Amino acid sequence: MHGKFDDLGRFADPSLLILTSLSDGPKHGYAIMTDVAAFSGVSMEPGTLYGALSRLERRGWIRPLATAERRRPYEITAAGQEILAEQVKTMQQIVRVARLRTAMAWGA
Amino acid sequence: MRPGLAGRLSRALVGWHPRRWRERYREEMLEVLDQHHPTVRTVASLGASAVGAHLDPAYRTDRLSLARLRRAALTAAVVAAPLALVLGPVGYRMWQDSYWHPAADEPLETAAFSPHGGIMVTAFGEAIDGTDMVWDVTDLSRPQRLSQFEGGQPIALSPDGRTVATIAYSGQPALWNVANPRHPVKMTTLSDGDGSKLWALAFSPDSRILATARYDKIFLWDVASPARPRLLRTLDAPVTSPAGDGNIPISPQDLAFSPGGNILASATGTDQVTLWNVTDPARAPRLATLGGAGDFIQAFTFSSRGNLLAAVTFHGTVLVYSLADPPRPARTATARALLTRALYPSGSPQPEETPLCATCQPASYAVAFTPNGHTLTVVVDREEMSANSGRDTIFDWPVTGSGALGAVTVTARDVADFQPVIAPGDRTVLGSPPGSHAWHAWPLP
Repeated sequence: MHGKFDDLGRFADPSLLILTSLSDGPKHGYAIMTDVAAFSGVSMEPGTLYGALSRLERRGWIRPLATAERRRPYEITAAGQEILAEQVKTMQQIVRVARLRTAMAWGA
Repeated sequence: MRPGLAGRLSRALVGWHPRRWRERYREEMLEVLDQHHPTVRTVASLGASAVGAHLDPAYRTDRLSLARLRRAALTAAVVAAPLALVLGPVGYRMWQDSYWHPAADEPLETAAFSPHGGIMVTAFGEAIDGTDMVWDVTDLSRPQRLSQFEGGQPIALSPDGRTVATIAYSGQPALWNVANPRHPVKMTTLSDGDGSKLWALAFSPDSRILATARYDKIFLWDVASPARPRLLRTLDAPVTSPAGDGNIPISPQDLAFSPGGNILASATGTDQVTLWNVTDPARAPRLATLGGAGDFIQAFTFSSRGNLLAAVTFHGTVLVYSLADPPRPARTATARALLTRALYPSGSPQPEETPLCATCQPASYAVAFTPNGHTLTVVVDREEMSANSGRDTIFDWPVTGSGALGAVTVTARDVADFQPVIAPGDRTVLGSPPGSHAWHAWPLP
């Protein structure tokens, strides 16, 4: 189950959150932070955000758009959508197995 | 961290990213910071981001050359050297003052306290030309060294905190004016015409009388005008054995006025404490004798009310006497064999050992009542016994109003003190480890 996403190592979580956030449309940095906090409860700090944005951009999974008043929006690329779908599939598999096993263990 | 400080630090950290990073992300990061509320976490994340970006080959554009490294090293040395010269001694002094306090070239021998002035005088070594230091001990955990002078020991500090009695190079008592504790000034040398060793000094509670003890003599001085002291009376102190006899322990004798000032207690190389009525110091008749020790008295102390006197002997026996009727004192408690009950820090008893010589002091003692008189504390240090013992043991007894002792609590302390000193009223012990040139203060349990 090893994929390209795993090469991000400990940066995988912020990257996954950012890709998820951009999957419904372009957003600038602060909008990504507030969106991630809203749907996941994860409070992402600017240093973490821009470290992940830099890595995602270099891999071609997101692309910057034109700056508007110092705010630069980012949008997810086709490659980014593909990697996100692959990652979500993996996670769904993990969730399915986890549900099954915890149900057995708890006798539910 | 204050939000304002976090914001400023965060913005500064954006500037610490590599140039290529800044050209690409600086403006939008600052825009995010404008909307964000920076905290310690923000600063930490930007610090990690800056370090990560510098390590990232994609942004590390400035190549390190030997010439650049040399310039950087030279700049760092030019900045660091004066800083180290200034901050090094300051840091060392702060560290030393927080726990270890400088002594002279020998361990702490004794300390004298002014009850109200917050002043302490310490003496080091037995030399008559030893160093005395004056300290501000308003907060004993943070003593401030104010001055030092060549005063030797023994020492006594007048209760008004203005005069230190110590010993002159001639062996005679000397008085120093420490009214300005930053500038001690020698006032005068007393002359009693006696050539034997000066063992002990004590001021009366009103600071007007000074008692000085030699082998078999006690001298009472009027020091109401310290610059012009006057000998009032010479007392013949009892001794058990003649001078030079091998049975005489080489140990300091003790001397103290009662809190009320009308009794002087002395132990001059004997197995008893003598009480003198010094209501009229020009006469000072013998009042009573506290006997029954069967051993040389090493140290003693009055309770704060003056109704009790506790003594500890050369080989570790504690005696308590009631002075409710001073002409007829009564022994109210005896606790024996402190040396064999001394503990290692592990809690195991220290073994009975033969002292290094017949007259060698088997232990050093500090003895004190708590200010309310409810507890008697004796600190025993057996540093003379052998190289591998030498740990402090604290004995605490509850004391009844009549002078009876309750069940003892014995606590071990894993630091040896050459000569422990209990600070009055503070439940604090001062001491120097054997061979150390510094002293420390530690709280009693």
